[in-house]
Amino acid sequence: MNQYVTLTIDGSKVSTPKGSSVLDAALRYGICIPHLCYLPTISESGACRICIVENIVNGESIITSSCTLVAKEGMVIRANSEKIRKLRKNIAELLVAQAPNSRAIQDIAVKCGVREVRYPFRHDDCILCGRCVRVCQDLYQARAIGFIGRGSQRYVGFPFDERPDFCKRCWACIDLCLMKETPCDGPMEIGQEYLCGKCESTTMAPQFDSGDCIRCEMGKGFGCTRHNM
Amino acid sequence: MHRITSPENLESVSRRLAAERDDGKVLLTVCGGPGCQASRCHDVASEVRKQVKDREIEGKVRLRVTGCHGFCEQGPIMLVGPEKIFYCHVKPEDVGEILHHSVNGGGVIERLLYTDPSTGKTVIHEADVPFYQAQTPDLLLQNRQVDPLSIEDYLAIGGYSALAKVLSDMEPEKVIQEVTASGLRGLGGAGFPTGRKWAACRAAYGEEKYVVCNADEGDPGAFMDRGILEGNPHAVIEGMIIGAWAIGAREGYIYVRNEYPIAVEHARIAVNQAREYGLLGDNLLGSGMEFDIQISRGAGAFVCGESTALMVSLEGKTGEPRPKDVEPVERGLWNKPTTVNNVETWANVPSIIKNGASWFGGIGTEKSKGTKILALTGQVRNTGLVEVAFGTTIRTIVEDIGGGGLDGKKIKAVQTGGPSGGCLPESMFDLPIDFDVLQEKGSMVGSGGLVVMDEDACMVDVAKYFLEFLQDESCGKCVPCRMGVSRLLEIVTAITEGKGKPEHIPLLKDLGETVTEASLCGLGKTAPNPVLSTLNYFMNEYEAHINEKRCPAGVCKALIHYYIDPEKCDGCMACLNVCPNGAIYGEKKQVHTIDTQLCDKCGICLTACGRGAIAVQ
Repeated sequence: MNQYVTLTIDGSKVSTPKGSSVLDAALRYGICIPHLCYLPTISESGACRICIVENIVNGESIITSSCTLVAKEGMVIRANSEKIRKLRKNIAELLVAQAPNSRAIQDIAVKCGVREVRYPFRHDDCILCGRCVRVCQDLYQARAIGFIGRGSQRYVGFPFDERPDFCKRCWACIDLCLMKETPCDGPMEIGQEYLCGKCESTTMAPQFDSGDCIRCEMGKGFGCTRHNM
Repeated sequence: MHRITSPENLESVSRRLAAERDDGKVLLTVCGGPGCQASRCHDVASEVRKQVKDREIEGKVRLRVTGCHGFCEQGPIMLVGPEKIFYCHVKPEDVGEILHHSVNGGGVIERLLYTDPSTGKTVIHEADVPFYQAQTPDLLLQNRQVDPLSIEDYLAIGGYSALAKVLSDMEPEKVIQEVTASGLRGLGGAGFPTGRKWAACRAAYGEEKYVVCNADEGDPGAFMDRGILEGNPHAVIEGMIIGAWAIGAREGYIYVRNEYPIAVEHARIAVNQAREYGLLGDNLLGSGMEFDIQISRGAGAFVCGESTALMVSLEGKTGEPRPKDVEPVERGLWNKPTTVNNVETWANVPSIIKNGASWFGGIGTEKSKGTKILALTGQVRNTGLVEVAFGTTIRTIVEDIGGGGLDGKKIKAVQTGGPSGGCLPESMFDLPIDFDVLQEKGSMVGSGGLVVMDEDACMVDVAKYFLEFLQDESCGKCVPCRMGVSRLLEIVTAITEGKGKPEHIPLLKDLGETVTEASLCGLGKTAPNPVLSTLNYFMNEYEAHINEKRCPAGVCKALIHYYIDPEKCDGCMACLNVCPNGAIYGEKKQVHTIDTQLCDKCGICLTACGRGAIAVQ
């Protein structure tokens, strides 16, 4: 029985184990689809929408997040079309305007091509990517934190806002938080909503490059360095 | 009461019940829909019961309290006799007179009749009321014929005969074929062909399958699902059983929002009645089919009307949509194949089976078949539920059925499809109600809300209102919907406050497109519609707000100011006395003035002035 499926991502044929996501397949081959809320081995949620791709079905393009899209035989994926790049840039702009004080988010925004931010900065502490919630739930089986409220009132917290006994204080949630990355000390004030983009090369350290990068066209546009954050 | 054990048994029971109801008694039908309940129809009904008892005329009169008839504006509504004399605004005091006339035969009560405002003449029979004339009632007609609390009423009009037909001589594939051939599409909003959904669910791999009825209707001003589930729950149940037979499901759920307590209660009673009659449970009508329905109450989240969020909520988790990369027909509720259909879609199924696919296919347009119930609200004379065939133009609905604008005001736009639908200007009122046509024009049929706005409505303010609703009701899971909608609202609010900049318009368009394309669920994908459609059709209003700092409709408080016309003011001091801020100065018999610094533009003076001297600029 065939345990692998073959699909086309941006013109290159890749094969991946049955049941894995398109994002997994792409990353395995060094095709860098940018991603934020995705974590390997932990359930995907499709919340950040940075990893969106075009799935071409019968000539019709369906935009969906690649982390939740299960790879199927003969799938045709476009991960770096002009439309996708524009959407990604707009989403990254929303993210960086919400929480400009994290280098992880600054980096991803700069890489997606954001220089000037058209919205006033909000200086939030959280973008609700849900990495902490999912790691607590999936990996440590504690469910000590979760999402509370909905819409713009949504936040991450303990049940009834009190640390429960079943929180094991493993701090995995903090380890994985995007907001703990110290921001670049560039212009980040209200009224100066732009990103200089000068420091991207220094944060994305070369030691993360695992050596199997194929220097894809995608990476050129995105400034990819195989960094998982 | 006994279990019905075979299709033949069902037919004889139905015939007996129909004969019992045809006994020459005068039938008084009181509308018990939500609108009429608000205008105290239950007082009328209990007065009828009391007086019938007092006068000892139980043998001559039959009272039936039904579900919504549609014409909520005129409630409480009463229909008398088989000829359906139409009385509106009935009060308990009128009951004696009505009984007297109806029992003693002949005669109508002139003052309770409906007056057609365009001709000034009174109308006696329901069929002649202009509100009903342009409609094609099918489901709403059934609403008028049955008491929702009585399964006998439903059986008497031929209820569950479609189920008997299916169980006795239709293979599941044939049922799916019939529904596919009828062209029935999901009436909850998306318009997905129902037959195709059922076929995919039947073909999906799995022992256990589920059917779900989506009655989590959350659009502001929409109440068609409520009208059906409250008025005729057995049609929904019958449709679900037929669907379950076609798909191969043994369990079904009705997910109804808890804000509809009567719908919850009526659905519960109906399910229990169906169980008692052997129409739910084991061995349905002797066919060996096994099926039961549970009622699940939603906690009032708008997003739970989205099918994937609904299923997550049914599983007992937080109601958030999940990606639809795997369709619910393959992996839905508890990862089992699931068919979710709207109340109206399920309720249409029995009629399709009974009358055949070609009957249903004969109504409507080429691609949208059958009828659609719309909740007509806003600034029109006649509001309520209307059921029209697909293809009816918006103008017919607004002008013929709705009776035109209130107080003779000119109608400017309609908002179709609830908060995530779009606004269409008056110039496009000749468009038909059709899934594809409205979609193409940037709006949608949606669940069927139809909000009419007249010249007093500011379209920027309307967009702001709907965005506020969507921001509150977004689940907050994905970035484009949560942050995008809140940024859209931020920008639109700035425009209404006179802080708009010319570059805001391209930004709104760009961001709106991003939210539409990249959001996770259907709610997010349609959330920018109010902004995009108003930008498309009412750009002049946005430009007036941004460039001239002027609100043409006089709604946005930051952009208007009140003043007193010295020609008209006679110094009566009426406005001065009502102003809560003391912003109006003046002596008696002298022209008054408004202090714009103190005025907070509440508009109370406007209504207090009898001479129309206060104006908005």
